[in-house]
Amino acid sequence: MNQRRTLFIALGLGLTAGLAAALLFLTRPGPAEDPGVTIIRPAAAIDAFRLEDQRGAAFDSARLQGKWSLLFFGYTHCPDVCPTTLSTFRRIHELLGPLNRDAQYVFVSVDPERDTAEQRGKYASYFNPEFLGVSGAHAELTKLVRSLGVYYRHGEPTGGGGYLVDHSAGVFLINPEGRMQALFSAPHDARRMAAALREIMGQKKS
Amino acid sequence: MIARYLLMPCLAAAPVAVTAQAAETIQVEDAWIREAPPGAAVLAAYLTLENRGDAERALVGADSPDFGRIEIHATRMKNGMASMEQLKHLKIAARGREALAPGGTHLMLMQPRRALRAGDRVTLTLRFAGGANLATEAVVRRDEQPDDHHHH
Repeated sequence: MNQRRTLFIALGLGLTAGLAAALLFLTRPGPAEDPGVTIIRPAAAIDAFRLEDQRGAAFDSARLQGKWSLLFFGYTHCPDVCPTTLSTFRRIHELLGPLNRDAQYVFVSVDPERDTAEQRGKYASYFNPEFLGVSGAHAELTKLVRSLGVYYRHGEPTGGGGYLVDHSAGVFLINPEGRMQALFSAPHDARRMAAALREIMGQKKS
Repeated sequence: MIARYLLMPCLAAAPVAVTAQAAETIQVEDAWIREAPPGAAVLAAYLTLENRGDAERALVGADSPDFGRIEIHATRMKNGMASMEQLKHLKIAARGREALAPGGTHLMLMQPRRALRAGDRVTLTLRFAGGANLATEAVVRRDEQPDDHHHH
């Protein structure tokens, strides 16, 4: 009987400790512990560039000032990663609620030959009317992607005269000073990204 | 959710009964196509294949009346870069499962013949090595269902 009681107490203690550990683990915030997030400190400078949004307005370094920007590079003929990531953007937008006042979501097409302003505008705004569809000359795109430490490459032809584009699958967070603050690696989980964004954006109010 | 499937009569020289048995060992689950954003000329279909047989099977292609061309592609991530690789076939181990899911293997659907909207249904005929064909129906969805993540 005594032995059994001891066992129960031990079990109870074990469960409590386990539960506490689990709670601590679950509630412990911190993008630092999320393997999908790389925080960049100090935030990295981005070279001047000049692209255009879907309305034909300049999208340049100045447009990265005063807001948190989420940048994703892709192309509209991309059937898997691009719509998947932009769906994640849509979900993050839903999750962030009022924080969206200080944020912008930018789809950068690295396929300006096929992705005209109209095309990338319709594409980006399908996911959310506020999303921007940006592109420009390869020389200007290159300035931006190089600053972020990535690249893209036009490659493999597909049936019917198409071609594939290799591109960074990461999502880049640019802070309101226009500097690269974090990188979210694929695969992306909207809930975890939103939690990390809340924390990062909260730490640095501008 | 097991999708209904029909067995297509096989015109190859192999005895029909054998082919039929081979195709019946494959189950298709949750076939869906991501709704195309406006102007997207290429779509992706996702599904899970379950091989209930004792022999390895291989998906070698697919056809659909709604698309001019379908290829099996895998998204590869390397050093943070995404690229797509065409697969000649996708093996499904005996008693195994293969999930075609966002960010991984998918059917790349090219040359759409009609505009597809969420809720539409598309017939996909999956072709397996050895000549067996399996017709399944994929539903067009705007997104993955929120709590529909299968991790293995």
